Amino acid sequence: MKKIRTDILIIGMGGAAQLAALNAFDANPDLNIVIVTKALQGKGGCSRMVQGGFNVVLNSADSHEKHLRDTLKGGQYINNQELAKTLVEQATPTIKEMETRYGCFFDRYPDGTVHQKPFAGQSFDRTVHKGDLTGIEIISRTTEQIMKRDIRILEECRALDLLADTTGREIVGALCVDIKQGDFFVVEAAATLVATGGGPTSYRFFAPGPEKTLDGMGMLYRAGVRMVDMEMLQFHPTGLIVPGSVVAGSLLEEGLRGAGAYMLNSLGERYMQRYDPVKMERTTRDVMSRSSFLEMMAGRDCEHGGVDMMAAHLGAEFVEKNFPGMYTRCKLFGYDLARKPVPVSPAAHFMMGGAVIDTACHTSLERLFAAGEDAGGVHGANRLGGNGIADSCVYGRQAGKSMAQYLKQERGIPQADERQIEHLAANYLAPFARTSGPSPLTLRDELREMNWTHVGIARTEEKLQQAIDIIEKIHEEVLMVQLTGTGGRAYNMVWQDWIALFNMLDVSRMISASALQRQETRGAHFRLDYPKQDDRYGLFNIFLNRGANGKPILEKRPVALKYMRPTDVVN
Amino acid sequence: MANHAPKTRIIKVFRYDPAVGGPGHFDRFELKTDDESLTTILDVLIRLQKTQDLSLAFRYACRVSMCGSCGMVINGREALACKTILADLKGEEVTIRPLNHFPVVKDLVVDMEPFFRKYEEGLTYFHAARERSEPAIIRPDSRERRVIESSTECIACGCCVSSCTMANWHKDYLGPAALNRVFTLLADSRDGLHEERLARSLGSCYHCRTELNCTEVCPKEISATRAIKYIQRLAAKEVLKPGSTVRSDLRELMPPQSTAPAALTPEPEDLLPAVPPPTLASRREFLSRTTLGIAALTIVFLGGVLAATALAPTLRKRPEKWVDVGQAEDFPAGSVKTAQIRYPVKDGFYESTVSKPVFVSHQENPDQFTVFNSRCTHLGCMLHWDDGKNLFICDCHGGQFKPDGVVKAGPPPRSMDRYLTMVQDGHLFVQEA
Ligand SMILES: Cc1cc2nc3c(=O)[nH]c(=O)nc-3n(C[C@H](O)[C@H](O)[C@H](O)COP(=O)(O)OP(=O)(O)OC[C@H]3O[C@@H](n4cnc5c(N)ncnc54)[C@H](O)[C@@H]3O)c2cc1C
Ligand code: SF4
Ligand code: FES
Repeated sequence: MKKIRTDILIIGMGGAAQLAALNAFDANPDLNIVIVTKALQGKGGCSRMVQGGFNVVLNSADSHEKHLRDTLKGGQYINNQELAKTLVEQATPTIKEMETRYGCFFDRYPDGTVHQKPFAGQSFDRTVHKGDLTGIEIISRTTEQIMKRDIRILEECRALDLLADTTGREIVGALCVDIKQGDFFVVEAAATLVATGGGPTSYRFFAPGPEKTLDGMGMLYRAGVRMVDMEMLQFHPTGLIVPGSVVAGSLLEEGLRGAGAYMLNSLGERYMQRYDPVKMERTTRDVMSRSSFLEMMAGRDCEHGGVDMMAAHLGAEFVEKNFPGMYTRCKLFGYDLARKPVPVSPAAHFMMGGAVIDTACHTSLERLFAAGEDAGGVHGANRLGGNGIADSCVYGRQAGKSMAQYLKQERGIPQADERQIEHLAANYLAPFARTSGPSPLTLRDELREMNWTHVGIARTEEKLQQAIDIIEKIHEEVLMVQLTGTGGRAYNMVWQDWIALFNMLDVSRMISASALQRQETRGAHFRLDYPKQDDRYGLFNIFLNRGANGKPILEKRPVALKYMRPTDVVN
Repeated sequence: MANHAPKTRIIKVFRYDPAVGGPGHFDRFELKTDDESLTTILDVLIRLQKTQDLSLAFRYACRVSMCGSCGMVINGREALACKTILADLKGEEVTIRPLNHFPVVKDLVVDMEPFFRKYEEGLTYFHAARERSEPAIIRPDSRERRVIESSTECIACGCCVSSCTMANWHKDYLGPAALNRVFTLLADSRDGLHEERLARSLGSCYHCRTELNCTEVCPKEISATRAIKYIQRLAAKEVLKPGSTVRSDLRELMPPQSTAPAALTPEPEDLLPAVPPPTLASRREFLSRTTLGIAALTIVFLGGVLAATALAPTLRKRPEKWVDVGQAEDFPAGSVKTAQIRYPVKDGFYESTVSKPVFVSHQENPDQFTVFNSRCTHLGCMLHWDDGKNLFICDCHGGQFKPDGVVKAGPPPRSMDRYLTMVQDGHLFVQEA
């Protein structure tokens, strides 16, 4: 098997991965850096899909303290405050470097300074953006910067599993597969960063690109990394419904509601009057998604099973001018966002949970770093719009610097355990040898539906218990899959879909087990059987590790309220 | 919207199995769709894979026209599969094949390596002109931002390169996408690699035949043609203008008689940003091979600049293709008429036919034919001839041209593009690439 030895292995090529590579390289250009990315260079992941923008304090009337307060309030005070503080403080230099070093150009005020727009849940207008295609600007520019530097990119190569040394305490690289050829290879590295950007595509409706399949979190879990807040999965309230199309779930950005768009059920009611009469549709994502979901469950769903979003009253010209990307996306399918209601549903969007990290992105295992959506703790129970890409860029930057620092002392490249490699590779090839068994595509549909109904927006003990069993059943079937008719290993999409199922299943395990533990409603985690947020219950996080039987071992721990206390947690 | 009747289509998909090799072939599928207006070509491929052939390979990532992974040739035209609605495709059959000019990996999946290599060769990355700690103050209505507009929104899908009939003719042609990025950087006052980039790209620009295919197919509505013309004008102004302080080493290389040919003098409404030539900052990050390349290219492009005029591609050696426009007597003196030209184009896999309108203007004095490209030089929209007003008019942004092709009003940066013409045996011919 081909082997590559390098100082730094970066898994993923979204915002977190790219900023890590750039910052590590700029800290020490002698470092050998290898990026392994599942998609073509710069094309995978959600960073480039960012529409709304990037929250950052730039204005003297704003402050890091305010941004921190907003972030904690949004997170219902279970954020790791140290991480949240670094997020808001480092966002400022990060965005400036994106402009001055990497050549991003964000929208300007008429006087030529960087424009900042309002975004839900913020006490100050601090969202930097480029029209409604902010991610394309960020990722196109950083991808070029990677090209400019001597950083090796292995595109359409997928990391399958992290490789440990014999003690299991130290990560020494990853087993990967070259998707184009179908061949395995190993990267051994002195430091490894996981930045595959989560991506809950394990639900009926989802916002991230289907290419993301929770790989990083699956890998981290299997490697024994400590994880946190896995029950905290954000649903975006307005995923476009396009019946039968893979486009379903793609987002209509939050700025629309910010600008005054409203939501209607099948009776034509603005149902937010019932759920949040004060903030109405400008309420937080969790409340908005939950309210829509409850309307849908109560049978007040519109034509395509969702609810309607109405922006026409804002004026056709206004909508077309200010939300051109959203307008065009709807128009493609014959929906006229500027003039008519558009069918939407909540869509699985973002994992607040992930690997436990410190502000230098160390995980619980030696030599292993995590950043971006794969890491947890920054956002607590609910992420503010605009804090996601900020998180990825800030922590990618932290990780890059931190790895370069780490390699000042530790440049030795360890060797991977050959037996582990062979064992894993054999498992990944097993379905080619079978001639009967279920199809991975059917099993994926099953898992998506199950998660939607059992581990989705409104959860109950009963459903979660059932889910835990169903997950194991699906897993057993996944192990029986056959790949007859899918062709060879080269660019075998169905084989890749099958591999994804292991990651989706592991994450489903983590979500359902954690969700069962949290017997209250908080942020994105809504329990129909415990519908109230209960502060007497205590502010805590749920940590977990993979147990010997593959199932998570959970631990509840109180939140360290280091900088701010929940003076005004509002639901 | 919904409410369309179910429909069955024949879908022909190019197949290539790397394990088998060979030239590949087409497979024919039948697919029934409940509502074609809600179905993209990406949906079609996903369904075919799921229900008819598990081995079918295609590429996608975002499924919402943001990543540029799903470029392919659909019914003869480059497009994003995730942005192409089935209902919009006329006819019984839909034919899907991989992008031209790229090596095929499997079925519809191509190797994009040549794309990124070309891209990189154009030094298509920002290089700060000077260190700053704060974002530059640049007004949104400044000249440079109005010039750059949304041209930075390229998603590197490769559609333009595939559509470009020149891309595989010249080993050193950077191609439309790279040149578009070069243009946005050249126009960006914050960037410090101005001259190197110009040197790298200018030679390429003279490979462009202004066919506008790239502009036509770009899913982001970016006009690489406009970018290319911008670079040419910029070069004319900065490098060839007598007394220019830019790149004295370049000018020293020029032969003594070198002054800018008339056709290259910048037109009044040029698009240059009002920026002093930046001095070169540290070249640390610069790969050493870059510098070598520049020296070599410099000589080539100077040759190109001096020999070519903006619209005289014939000065370059390549097979001439003359396309029949019609009988010369059908274009009486003093008239402007629209004619349709058709000619076959051969690309990596197939021959297709280009069909497009041209304007034939027959001036009385001197007795000669002028044939104009029917695209507006602003953003490539189709022009039409207005007999009453005696003007060529662009409905997109109100550009107007006089009968001799010179800009009368609106945003077009330069006169209409014209073809080389020839009359033989009573027929009028234009030269196409
Ligand atoms: C539609 C949409 C809109 C959003 N809008 C906003 C917004 O306006 N503001 C905001 O703050 N946040 C927004 N977010 C959230 C934000 O995009 C993410 O939080 C953030 O971009 C994640 O960055 P990342 O670097 O962690 O991961 P990503 O950018 O997702 O990158 C992940 C990378 O990992 C690669 N990868 C995946 N698996 C593997 C593997 N096994 N091996 C190798 N590589 C792999 C992928 O190809 C990709 O390159 C949005 C998200 C979505 C989906
Ligand atoms: S210029 Fe347009 S067609 Fe060309 S790569 Fe960019 S987005 Fe694609
Ligand atoms: S899949 Fe991303 S552009 Fe089509």
